[in-house]
Amino acid sequence: MDKLNMSRHISGKFNEELEAVRNQVLNMGGLVEQQLRDSLYAIEKSDHELAEKILQRDFNINAMEVQIDEACVQIIAKRQPAASDLRLVIAIFKTISDLERIGDEAERIARVALESFNNDQQQFLVSLENLGQQVLSMLHNVLDAFARMDLDSAYEVHQMDAQADRQYEALTRQLMTYMMEDPRGIPKVMNVLWSARSLERIGDRCQNIAEYIIFFVKGKDVRHVSAESMERTVKGPGVGKK
Amino acid sequence: MISVTPTSSQAEVLDLENLTAEQTALEIRNLNLHYGEAQALYDISMNIPKNRVTAFIGPSGCGKSTLLRCINRMNDLVEIARTSGEIRLHEKNIYDKDVDAAALRRRIGMVFQRPNPFPKSIYENVVYGMRLQGVNDRRTLDEVVERSLKGAALWEEVKDRLNASAFGLSGGQQQRLVIARAIAIEPEVLLLDEPTSALDPISTLTIEELITELKSKYTVVIVTHNMQQAARVSDQTAFMYMGKLIEYADTNTLFTTPEKKQTEDYITGRYG
Repeated sequence: MDKLNMSRHISGKFNEELEAVRNQVLNMGGLVEQQLRDSLYAIEKSDHELAEKILQRDFNINAMEVQIDEACVQIIAKRQPAASDLRLVIAIFKTISDLERIGDEAERIARVALESFNNDQQQFLVSLENLGQQVLSMLHNVLDAFARMDLDSAYEVHQMDAQADRQYEALTRQLMTYMMEDPRGIPKVMNVLWSARSLERIGDRCQNIAEYIIFFVKGKDVRHVSAESMERTVKGPGVGKK
Repeated sequence: MISVTPTSSQAEVLDLENLTAEQTALEIRNLNLHYGEAQALYDISMNIPKNRVTAFIGPSGCGKSTLLRCINRMNDLVEIARTSGEIRLHEKNIYDKDVDAAALRRRIGMVFQRPNPFPKSIYENVVYGMRLQGVNDRRTLDEVVERSLKGAALWEEVKDRLNASAFGLSGGQQQRLVIARAIAIEPEVLLLDEPTSALDPISTLTIEELITELKSKYTVVIVTHNMQQAARVSDQTAFMYMGKLIEYADTNTLFTTPEKKQTEDYITGRYG
């Protein structure tokens, strides 16, 4: 918290507003993480009841996004934030839009949990579960990094995505082979494939959030830059610190 | 890389430490100023680029107005003020013995916080400087009045009552009249000392709009307490604190990613 220097504003009300909106983002993140964890569990255990619950809860996430958006708009209108405050509001704006999409992907995965799979197809669910755990830990870590605005953990999450991508590719190959061998299973396997795709997208979105954290801390936009350039930014000197 | 066209009036970023002679309006070198025992400015060095708007920001008493007043030697009028260091205009130090302060102030005009029109007509206010220089030809003066009032975005509002008293104008109009008076003698540099702090928000916006237009012809240096104003109108911003120049950078950079912690604290409204 000290890192954010949030409490040092001359205006106590501004402190409260920023603090409140930041807490809302953390709550929203917690909810999204819960959704993803539950959807993975629902698939693994074929828990239809839980899957239904997940579908219903997605509304809460959407509502939170709207609420936080509104709070950010008010801060911009009333406080004209500058420098790190401005970067925080922008990072929040972008983060919640990615969180909302992660919520949507979790919902999509939950729909697959409503299907039933035969014994042969169960093996794919295990591979899906592995990819799911990898992505879940990315989400957990990036939310953790967001809470502390921790540059190093954000960068670590960013690096983790490569592994998730490899797992996704391996799973895709496995599924394609199966589809060629047994075309009757294609509809079911397609569902698994879509879920894998959703998980892979969640990994990308975690990467985005990691980029917003780096933007907040370093003041540099690291989207669409080379790995070297990104590393230079992360290891380079900070802003507003000298 | 796709290049995105910079929006609105924000000019390209200059390398402020290495301006070419053509880009430079003023060079300030190791400027120190004492009021009696008290030092008000500490070793200020900076380049002020030509045809751009440079803003000085900082808390009260940080020396920003003092620095501005040094640029046209207004501090000469303060008996206890002593200056060392240089301010160069076209590579000539304005503090050299052979520089006539009155002539200098014709090249470097100044506008103050409170509009200060003379108790004369609008017309006479604008041509005051010309008359001082001995210009009395009616046609020349008419041209100057129209050009200056247009330049100060006041012409349309007053063209039918040029002989009315300047005191009949609103505060915002008076401030634009004072700017018209300053540009009537075609200075190179225009110094604005909190030009909008006594004005309402709409007049303030009119003046800000004017400042953006003025820079095509003049180099503008503005001191302001209003940080958002500095962010809106200036191309580069200098942050001063306790008589020292803390950070001087492109305005976009200074307001989004300042390098120094003191700047960050000031512009985000935190305790220093």
